[in-house]
Amino acid sequence: MNARTPQEDVKITVGYKALPGQKDDRLEQRTVQPAAGDAPPWDATTQFALVGTDVDRVDGLAKASGRAKYSYDVTFPGMLQAMILRSPVARGKLTVLELDEAARMPGIQAVVALKEIGNKVRFVGDAIAAVAGVNLHLVRDAIERIRAEYEREEHNVDYLVANDAPMVDDKGLVTEDWPADEGMTAALLDAKVTHDATYRVEVQTHSSLETHGGVARWTGNDLEVWLSTQATFGCRGELARALQGKKVDVGSVTIHSEFVGGGFGSKFGAGIEGLALCLLAHAAKAPVKLMLDRFEEHTTTGNRPGALMQARGGVDAEGRIVAWDWRSFGHAGFSGSGGSVAVPNYYTGDAKVRRSHKDLAIDADPPRPMRAPGHPQGWFGAELFLDELAAKAGVDPLAFRLQNDREQIRLDQWRFAAERFGWDAARARANAPGARMRRGVGLSSARWGNLGNPGRPAHGITCRIHQDGTVETRSGAQEPGVGTKTMLAVITAEELGVDLKLVKATVGHTGDPSGPASGGSTVTPSLAPAARHAAFLAKQQLCELVGKHLGVPANEVVCAGGLVGLGKSQLRWAEACKLIGPNPIDVRGQRFANYDSKPFHGSQCGVQMAEVEIDAWTGFVRVTRMFGIQDCGLVITRKLAESQVLGAMIQGVSYALHEQRILDKRTGRMLNGDFLRYKVTGARDLPELECHMHSIANGHDSVGAAGLGEPPSVASAAAIANAVFHALGTPVRHLPITPDKVVQALAKKG
Amino acid sequence: MTVPPDRGFSRRSFLKGSAAAGVATTGIAAAPAAPAGPTTFGPGLHEIELRINGKARKVEVETRTTLLDALRDGLDLTGAKKVCDRGACGGCTVLVDGVTTTSCMTLAMDAVGSEVTTIESLSDGDAVHPLVQNFVRCDAMQCGFCTPGMVMSSLSCLQRRGQPTVAQMQHDLSGNLCRCGTYGRVMQAIQRTAQGGGK
Ligand code: FES
Ligand code: FES
Repeated sequence: MNARTPQEDVKITVGYKALPGQKDDRLEQRTVQPAAGDAPPWDATTQFALVGTDVDRVDGLAKASGRAKYSYDVTFPGMLQAMILRSPVARGKLTVLELDEAARMPGIQAVVALKEIGNKVRFVGDAIAAVAGVNLHLVRDAIERIRAEYEREEHNVDYLVANDAPMVDDKGLVTEDWPADEGMTAALLDAKVTHDATYRVEVQTHSSLETHGGVARWTGNDLEVWLSTQATFGCRGELARALQGKKVDVGSVTIHSEFVGGGFGSKFGAGIEGLALCLLAHAAKAPVKLMLDRFEEHTTTGNRPGALMQARGGVDAEGRIVAWDWRSFGHAGFSGSGGSVAVPNYYTGDAKVRRSHKDLAIDADPPRPMRAPGHPQGWFGAELFLDELAAKAGVDPLAFRLQNDREQIRLDQWRFAAERFGWDAARARANAPGARMRRGVGLSSARWGNLGNPGRPAHGITCRIHQDGTVETRSGAQEPGVGTKTMLAVITAEELGVDLKLVKATVGHTGDPSGPASGGSTVTPSLAPAARHAAFLAKQQLCELVGKHLGVPANEVVCAGGLVGLGKSQLRWAEACKLIGPNPIDVRGQRFANYDSKPFHGSQCGVQMAEVEIDAWTGFVRVTRMFGIQDCGLVITRKLAESQVLGAMIQGVSYALHEQRILDKRTGRMLNGDFLRYKVTGARDLPELECHMHSIANGHDSVGAAGLGEPPSVASAAAIANAVFHALGTPVRHLPITPDKVVQALAKKG
Repeated sequence: MTVPPDRGFSRRSFLKGSAAAGVATTGIAAAPAAPAGPTTFGPGLHEIELRINGKARKVEVETRTTLLDALRDGLDLTGAKKVCDRGACGGCTVLVDGVTTTSCMTLAMDAVGSEVTTIESLSDGDAVHPLVQNFVRCDAMQCGFCTPGMVMSSLSCLQRRGQPTVAQMQHDLSGNLCRCGTYGRVMQAIQRTAQGGGK
């Protein structure tokens, strides 16, 4: 083994240098034991050539030039197009399904049933049958000739009247008694100031611009699927299991997913559309493309669930939280699960705390995880509740957070954000009584806890160094737009000390080493150390060759700045790679378990602040500016990380002000299942946005990166709701904050 | 402001008189020995000729085929995306005679005789339009699915306005949805291009 391989204790520095304008460094020493053969740890003192700089997205040109081929864009000679027949009934049973006439229509090459007679129909949009033909016009014509009949049952799409729903009054306030708890009652009685309120959020759809679906092609029993997915390996297993009857096993299925047009949590499974696509291609003996249309995307591919949330709590004379009682009711679909809500846990210290949650089933498409599942909902309720409580206690919201927040990183972030945003001045500015335009500012914390998939060391990366000096880094995991390819390329180039242009990162083919699903912000922390390990191993092999060539000890050879060698004996990278021969250096790096020692911090912290301007006559809310500071462990690609944070803030504006799935109670059908009536924030709603990436050396593995999908999505809507509260002097406790709710809130306030 | 020219029948074809002559001018392949009187097309496929990125391209369409489907399925020009297919998102934006057009809301036949410009015209191997370059430089994308449409709307904004203000950019991009939230950086890319950056 190479002598540089650290197998014993390594001392590292974790934490972060003082934020700009602050005095105190938060640096600590740790002793870690890297696994045998792993790369030595990077820490807070590492000088990087590339990591943390503003590199361009490596596939940026492919995307901006329109050359990138998404699953939707894949085409083959003789490829057929397909569609799914959907149930118009919200609940019932399929009683008749006749496909023959459709199968005889011109241009139709395959028709498959996705339900059998007698099967339950569970929501409007449930898949009944699928048709493939030479073009979508003919397929649509054929779909109309399928005869499907249903036995209808009574349905319910309103979770507030579901079985087990809590008692609520006509304004949607929970009236049911809190379950008895003597400790809680005592804590509330002891509190100097108490508050009790009900909050509500509506269902949001993921609205990825590329819909679900893909292209399937069979060669004998081998199946290739180009799928718009967030989980190549998960979908591979799912399809193999579902197609067992077709003599398929996992080894005969390959998923391709190089470019994905967004997923946000909705694309973990291949789903019924994925299965239908494979069945049709099998039956038609031709490649088939099946992509959902926009209505199907809104109504059958999951959502961020709505919720009803009630909080009560109190503070003592010093303004410390002493009691925090919380219950929530989640808007689940027919599955009856997935509606849960998360709330911050770092404000309450040793206060009396209680939390409960119940999911309520309705006859609609069930929730799926969506960017920080449960968090934007719960943070909205909890942070607005805190502002209301602080207002009652006569404390500024920022002072209230500084007093109650128990996490040091965020305490620094609160102060930093307040400075950058101009919190004190903005908060002090009063609206003239009776003014039409009202301004206000609000804030919210964020937290997401994850340092990768340490339990899945099987995740790997292939690294190849070729004779011509080019380098490959490959993962079979997918990239739904977050920058994974760029991250892999940067880590690899950094480790090898070469120009980023020499490194080509490829993702999305299950022939390459396994990686996690793009969920829970786990991809970067899981794959960054594996990519580094792969590059580290490849480098060792190159150093052997160079050492032998130059007559210097291989274990002292260094790769840096495009040179490989020792002291005065150096080869340029291109020269060194010529020693490799026709077969490349080809190694597989792995994802070792996290170090045993305590990381600097086990989760990611953030703070956001927002300013709104409200037209009190029309009730129209505009977010004028936002500031966010976000930690994601080590920042690897700064520009891309910022994009993710800024994008999350815009999604937060959308969630706070615009988005709401509306189901027709009578038919169970979504009334706004398109982009005309389902409003997503556009360029005109864009606030002035600024973000600061807070790079922290966590010291949990050789890289110390954490993910960034979820963390910045947590705070935005809550900060906006608090700004609305400040501007109006009365809270709007129900998202989205549409003009009608603002006008009502003002009228009630008088 | 550019005024979109009337499409379908051009003034020139109208002046030429007979429907058959009009058909020839608009580039639709002559129907088999049609008797005098209006020519009908469909049902089913027939060939038309479109001018795309300066080149004549033949493609088979039905009368109900959209320009978007003709580009994507008929010509494998997949830069324009099908996102909503209802004119609500701008993902399918192309220029028709220099005007931003949602190709999902335009029948392929109606584009006959017009100059269609797609995202594919902005790069040729390593030669890339500065606007595209600046989209990369400013990281004006995440998943990238809205990006080709954004680039085309941005291009039109630049062509019409030269040095657009923020309000003008917001206006010109208001038909383009981006779920990943890249609007701010798209506007930076436009501004950088207007100031001569890139390349
Ligand atoms: S796909 Fe044409 S506007 Fe949405
Ligand atoms: S970059 Fe993903 S939709 Fe715009």
